[in-house]
Amino acid sequence: MVIFKLAIICIFIFTFFGLFVFGPLYDHIPIQAVAFVAVIGWNVLRFSVRETISLLKFCFPFVLSLFIFGLIFHFTRLLGRQDWLEDTLIKCLVFPSSLVFLKVILTYITYLDILNLPISMKKRVDLITVKSAFSKGEKILRRFSWYLNTYPELKSGSKIKYTLKKYVCLIIALYLYLYEEIENSNRLLRNRYQHLYEARE
Amino acid sequence: MELKKGKYRLEERGLNFSLSDDLNFNNKKSCFYFRGGNGFGKTSFLEKIIIPGFKNANAQYIYIGQDMRTQLYTLRALLSVQGFKVANNDEMELLRLWINNSRSATVFILDEFDKYFPDHGFIFDWSDSFIQTYIFVTHLGGSRPDAVAQKFKTSNVKFELIGFDGHLKNVQIGKE
Repeated sequence: MVIFKLAIICIFIFTFFGLFVFGPLYDHIPIQAVAFVAVIGWNVLRFSVRETISLLKFCFPFVLSLFIFGLIFHFTRLLGRQDWLEDTLIKCLVFPSSLVFLKVILTYITYLDILNLPISMKKRVDLITVKSAFSKGEKILRRFSWYLNTYPELKSGSKIKYTLKKYVCLIIALYLYLYEEIENSNRLLRNRYQHLYEARE
Repeated sequence: MELKKGKYRLEERGLNFSLSDDLNFNNKKSCFYFRGGNGFGKTSFLEKIIIPGFKNANAQYIYIGQDMRTQLYTLRALLSVQGFKVANNDEMELLRLWINNSRSATVFILDEFDKYFPDHGFIFDWSDSFIQTYIFVTHLGGSRPDAVAQKFKTSNVKFELIGFDGHLKNVQIGKE
């Protein structure tokens, strides 16, 4: 049953990426816009409006920098290409919608599904650790962002400089957190499993 | 920054504060201790009312939250971006570096810092040359180390639950 569920999830992922990211619908801006709205709506239904806004806020600087570079390339006619603006708009839609799509669909894989997978316990522990770390990481982003807003040191300079520095800090903090969290959770899970296994023996 | 006595409502946190005394954080060399039971909104009052007040007043402050171990990830990132090598620093060293690098601040806010460091005198040693006002949230009975008592005027601010208004907790805040 779990294999069937995972197969369906994989089919959805391959279909989405096959059609919208690497496939025939990639360069259709209206279709990409509809896909973006649909994925955002799905995220709202699955989580909440607040969570969706915070996710979009997280994506915004990346999308903005994509857009700015696209504009620069467009006006400088880089490599003689005429389609920089169109290509940039597509990327500005594809990046957040594929990110949100993956995030939402992967939440349908539960811890019980992982436990029921016909793989070794070591691999199950690794998968559980990754799932747990990423779901914690998502929640912690808002708190990190709140703390970074309280540091006056970051606010010296222009607003753009501040936003860039804040997001660099956010990414470093998140990376450090996930790195430590994965290591600690993995050690804890392995330790518990080992003791349970030994007790059963 | 001064908080006038009156009502402060935090609907989303289910809290309705009634501040019975003005709280003046402009007084030089003052130290506030916020006390009260769990769930009476001390942290919410700090994060939703006091800190935005300092931000609006453009006052420079340092804030250490009660989830300090989470905050340390952001400090590590901040200090790295500022060019400090922090890879092998422990939490004390990170805090010392950050505080020493925040000398433009005049207010220091610490939320349940004493649960990590019951003897927190070192905070004063590191910062009392530039900090004018300390705000501590604490569950412990004691207050500051003796050396600090001579330098700073202490005010105890008590949070008391006085009833419920529907789903909102009515909390009275006043100086002792």
